[in-house]
Amino acid sequence: MNKKIGVYICHCGGNISDYVDVEKVKKSIEAEDGVFLAKTTLFACGDANQKEMVDDIKENELDGVVVASCSPKLHLLTFRAVTERAGLNKYNYVHANIREQASWAHSDDKPGATETAIRLVKAAVAKVRLAEPLYPFIINSKKAVAVIGGGIAGLRAAIELADMGCPVTLIEREHFIGGRVAQWDVLFTTNETGKEVVTKLYNEVIRHDNIRLLTGAEVISNTGSIGDFKMKIKVTPRYIKAKCNEGHLLKAIEVCPVDVPDEFNFNITNRKAIYHNFPSEYPQTPVIDIKNCTRCGECEKICPSVDFSQEEETIEINVGSVLMATGFDSYTPADGEFGYKQIENVVTLPQFKRIIDLNDKKLIYKGKEIKNIAYIYCVGSRQIDGDNKYCSRYCCTSVIYAAMQARHKFSDINNYHFNRGIRTYGKQEVLYAESLKGGDIYLQSYEDAPPVVEQNNDKITIRINDILTAKKEMSVEADLVVLVTGMVPRADNSVASLFKLPKGRDKFFNEIHMKLRPVETVIDGITICGACQGPKNIMESVNSALSAAIKSFSYVSKGELELEPIIAKIDKDLCTWCGACAEACPFDAIKMVKDEKKDIAAINNSVCKGCGMCLPVCPSNAINLIAYSDKEIESMIDALAG
Amino acid sequence: MAAINTEFGKELKKYGAFDFNACYNCGNCTAVCSLSTEEDSFPREMVRFSVLGLEDDIRSSLKPWLCYYCGECSTHCPQEANPGELMMSLRRWLTTEYDWTKLSGLLYRSLPLTIIGFIIATLGVLVFSVLENFNLQSIMHIGHLFEIIAIAAVFGFILLPNIIRMWWMIILKPKIKVPLINYFTSFGELIIHMFTQKRSLGCDDNQLRWFEHFIIVIGYLGLLFTTVFLDWFSNDSLFVIVLGYVMSIIIFIVTIDFMSDRIKKQKEMSKYSQPSDWMFVVWLFLMGLTAFVVRLFIDTGLIEKNIWLYLFHLTILVQWALIIVPFGKWTHFLYRSFAMYFAKIKAV
Repeated sequence: MNKKIGVYICHCGGNISDYVDVEKVKKSIEAEDGVFLAKTTLFACGDANQKEMVDDIKENELDGVVVASCSPKLHLLTFRAVTERAGLNKYNYVHANIREQASWAHSDDKPGATETAIRLVKAAVAKVRLAEPLYPFIINSKKAVAVIGGGIAGLRAAIELADMGCPVTLIEREHFIGGRVAQWDVLFTTNETGKEVVTKLYNEVIRHDNIRLLTGAEVISNTGSIGDFKMKIKVTPRYIKAKCNEGHLLKAIEVCPVDVPDEFNFNITNRKAIYHNFPSEYPQTPVIDIKNCTRCGECEKICPSVDFSQEEETIEINVGSVLMATGFDSYTPADGEFGYKQIENVVTLPQFKRIIDLNDKKLIYKGKEIKNIAYIYCVGSRQIDGDNKYCSRYCCTSVIYAAMQARHKFSDINNYHFNRGIRTYGKQEVLYAESLKGGDIYLQSYEDAPPVVEQNNDKITIRINDILTAKKEMSVEADLVVLVTGMVPRADNSVASLFKLPKGRDKFFNEIHMKLRPVETVIDGITICGACQGPKNIMESVNSALSAAIKSFSYVSKGELELEPIIAKIDKDLCTWCGACAEACPFDAIKMVKDEKKDIAAINNSVCKGCGMCLPVCPSNAINLIAYSDKEIESMIDALAG
Repeated sequence: MAAINTEFGKELKKYGAFDFNACYNCGNCTAVCSLSTEEDSFPREMVRFSVLGLEDDIRSSLKPWLCYYCGECSTHCPQEANPGELMMSLRRWLTTEYDWTKLSGLLYRSLPLTIIGFIIATLGVLVFSVLENFNLQSIMHIGHLFEIIAIAAVFGFILLPNIIRMWWMIILKPKIKVPLINYFTSFGELIIHMFTQKRSLGCDDNQLRWFEHFIIVIGYLGLLFTTVFLDWFSNDSLFVIVLGYVMSIIIFIVTIDFMSDRIKKQKEMSKYSQPSDWMFVVWLFLMGLTAFVVRLFIDTGLIEKNIWLYLFHLTILVQWALIIVPFGKWTHFLYRSFAMYFAKIKAV
């Protein structure tokens, strides 16, 4: 079949025509097989030209279109849309890039640029001759979303999804929801406590019929892909019946002989094996930490709600999209890093926040009243030689606010901030000004000359060559040293590997495009938000949570999904299953299946991205990429080689 | 190694400094200051020293005296930390540091104590008048003697030792080696700055203020000379009488402008007035005015019936000579010029 092809050659103002003789290009391809009309145009993307193209296609019943202009990244979709408006299948459009690849690249050689442009356009014409109409795959998409992580981001995202009418399974690994925010006391800028914020969200979560909350729950496996994720979730019981008498419970906690570090307080206190983080934490039923429980049975004797017969169960769910909100860990300093673990009274910022929260009237730590506090900034962040090159964003504001809180809550507190430049960006700047006016002292050094923490007898001294005082050596005697630790990825991020979620160089989860597609991942159907993606404060986490919720909802809202048809295709006759393609596939889209007689490779259409990695590794040439078949590519090469 | 002392900032606030803690060390103040140089850069450094409480560094620094308070730094401070007023407060603090009696400090920090001092001076004059049976001749005679003795005593026992202390803090204690010859070659600097305040012309658009200040210094020294050494109130020479009138007029006219600036608060330098600032300018004004009226009454023969007028003048004089001159703002006249002198000595 001979196609009727229309070719448009763009001047791009002069970006192309100043170097490429567009009229010559037009003349050289007019005679090409199948070219019905060829035109030059000042701006192909201009409205007038788009309209003319539509008219041309309709009037002349063109069935192939080429525009030779800028990069397809800029206008491929524009001209595909033009062909669609003219009633033509958009895959009958082929784009030739004669700006970046000809005029700009060869601006010193005009005849050469023109020759290159001619070949590029001829290749495009060769491809469009063989182009076939393609139609998107339609797959079913289960209208349900799994939200992994019940911290501030996960809670907010779950509520948003549920409000839009989407069933949500909210999966929290701990037995209590709220994540890190539940651990914080008063928060800047709203002056609410973390508990209050979490309470608000929890109340919305439990009133929602659309949300199924699973605590003590961990995803253990996943099969399936966008539209149809099949996940298994292991749920650990609380070993306490929902309705329990508080008096009994308090006594039960009292008699429990187990004493383990309390992670809720970042290990500065201990807790029992039967515990709740704080009296009103959600869900309000306490938990028996079965890993540390000795089964002595003392609690059972006192509290009839204790129920050791509860069993671990595995739940299977099926959702169309997964929203990851697994949060962060606080950086743990190395032993000896600014005296950590070697000098008493050196704590981290999260620990300090808990210490403020746990003390009343007087600030006491390890039996000693605290008056002078030194804060050492950027511990575990902005490392020159370490892995964590990034700034953790939240810590400057967080520590300044905590220091002010300490000053207001307890009397005679002196705060000394050993920083590397204060980054209380945006509206948080007012806090820095307030802290300065309140008398907090700020000392600054560069990364190559950090402050030194030393212990002499009973006293901790911090020395710094303060760059704000002409590098004069300054010293402070402190009762407590707070290491302002940043955010690091969760130590146990195994859930990510179940979904093959890619991580960035900083080991946080990676989005597709930081600016333009900030919550999508290369794994279709999986969105990310909150601090699992990188350091964020609460406001930023919730912002990203809401946008991830909307994005996840867009995958499942219609009940079906249209997928790009340009994917790999297996020739069943040629394939003999060697597995090389499955190994080469970065998206895990190729599986072995049994055909009538033999094993062959099968492409999962909803996972394949059409990247083409499997093509060259196939020894029997059994794989073709739709729209980039060997025939098409060879014809293009012939045209280019001319 | 220097230890941080946050108490110093609290102390400094008693001398009028405020909000300087808000400084985030951008350095705009130093950048806009037309007197700051690369070798002697201020006021940011002084703000920083004050925040950290580096007393020794401030004590041995001449920088507070190198500032003539145009106020540009405070105008441009993005944190409204008022570096200009801090420099002013540092001058007050330094004045007390130089003062071996420590009375300056008491008076700067406490208005009630200052008022008590003034009341005691007033009572002294009254008691003395009673003892003299309100005999105008003898009161005026002793009043004149008092002036001479007070000047000698204040200078000999207080100001001179204080200047020696200043020299000790600035040159001796920091162990700055200065060849003896420098003290002589730089002496001109002392005289020039004492009588002209030349440096303050370096502040932007400061010609009028410099001129006012210049003529008030001339007026003040002139009046001092006329009353003390020429015994204006008892002198019949027409030249001396007119000279006294001119000098006293200069004083009370210019001080009216200074006072109105402090009331209007439009210029940065006159926005914040401590009691010591008010007293200095008001007493200077009263001195000029009362001296003028006393001489006028003498010339018109009214003084015999209005002895209270002379007593009022004498009270102002006593308060001035015994409180404001040795312990108040008057000392900046000396310390500023000596600061320039020491700076020159160090630099040569």
